[in-house]
Amino acid sequence: MQSKDAVVEDGEITSSVTAADSEFDEWNNFGDDDIMQQQYTIQADEAKKIPFEPLSSLAAEYNSGSPILLEKIKVLDEQYAAIRRTRGDGNCFFRSFMFSYLEHIMECQDQAEVDRIQPNVEKSRKALQTLGYADLTFEDFFALFLEQLECVIQGKETSISHEELVIRSRDQSISDYVVMFFRFVTSAEIQMRTEFFEPFILGLTNTTVEQFCKLSVEPMGEESDHVHITALSDALGVPIRVVYLDRSSCDTGGVSVNHHDFMPAAGDLPNASCSSVKNSPFITLLYRPGHYDILYPK
Amino acid sequence: MQASKARLFKEYHEVQREKTADPDIQLVCDESNIFKWTAFIKGPSETPYEGGVFQLSFSVPEQYPLQPPQVRFLTKIFHPNVHFKTGEICLDILKNAWSPAWTLQSVCRAIIALMAHPEPDSPLNCDSGNLLRSGDVRGYQSMAKMYTRLAAMPKKG
Repeated sequence: MQSKDAVVEDGEITSSVTAADSEFDEWNNFGDDDIMQQQYTIQADEAKKIPFEPLSSLAAEYNSGSPILLEKIKVLDEQYAAIRRTRGDGNCFFRSFMFSYLEHIMECQDQAEVDRIQPNVEKSRKALQTLGYADLTFEDFFALFLEQLECVIQGKETSISHEELVIRSRDQSISDYVVMFFRFVTSAEIQMRTEFFEPFILGLTNTTVEQFCKLSVEPMGEESDHVHITALSDALGVPIRVVYLDRSSCDTGGVSVNHHDFMPAAGDLPNASCSSVKNSPFITLLYRPGHYDILYPK
Repeated sequence: MQASKARLFKEYHEVQREKTADPDIQLVCDESNIFKWTAFIKGPSETPYEGGVFQLSFSVPEQYPLQPPQVRFLTKIFHPNVHFKTGEICLDILKNAWSPAWTLQSVCRAIIALMAHPEPDSPLNCDSGNLLRSGDVRGYQSMAKMYTRLAAMPKKG
């Protein structure tokens, strides 16, 4: 806080005061900066919530909702035990991935996965350098991710508990840095394989691949699409299952819940030592239009 | 907590090392406060800002680089995307499109690019924006040039 106070005290720019403690006498004084500050405050409040709940809470949410959704939740209930909700701030995919990934390594003490992913991380670092990013712009984010990776393995001085992992995932200075690490990795992967990603990106927006990365991947709070998921999964070599909960139904009348497995290029697959089925993703996310949460299989 | 400071120190060293790399930008850190910076940028050539030196003030938030720096023109400038009174700049990378991939130095470069390529459709200075939107390029240029002479050129003698 010290540094912040310093900014406010000797700053001639009055709008550096946060939205919470300033009163807007006149709308004239309400500039873009104030709007952004207000947005940051809302995000900080959202950050406090990542509850872990049984799947029944999901059904409760749709009690008076669409019967198709309720049917689908019943199907989900057969396979999944719980849901962990992720804050809805545009980073939900990356944050869900972060928590799910680190939690998996912690639960399984999957040192093999830690060893496997490190070369991929280094590859991303090299890619960013090749693309002309200055080291100082991304190295802090890389360092923080690697640090978390070390911490979830037990038996070291730096080891952390599951409780601590939850706390860190809520702590902006750690959680957002890891999210940003994933954004850098995703951006690098897309730009290194421009030809592959270009048609998908043209389908989403009318921009070049580079612009897409600058505007829709690298900035915090930009939502993720299948392009982001594919790129992150490929870059890190981590398969991801996304279960779709929407109101679509199939013609035959039976209700089934669709899922899609994002599988990274072969030969790079982790041995999911925890999972009963080899090569099936150990990260399962629940997608409802506009948002990702984490699902826990039974 | 100290991440922003560490990052700014890195940028500080980079600026010192690359001092001559970009002669159009002179970026100076406040001696007593690393969260305060000043930049002097040269008006791009073949624009009404040519020959002028424009001073920018940077106020860096504690959450930097996850949040963008607040940048303002201290030198008066007639430009569609700069507030005539406050010097506030309308530039996407200083707002929603910000990412830590930017540095104070590259923000300066983006501002120079904005000076050369105004976006009259999202104006902060409507007078300036309207001149360009109505196709009065000459009117815009002469106004911009006048203010460059008045405010951004060293006094003679």
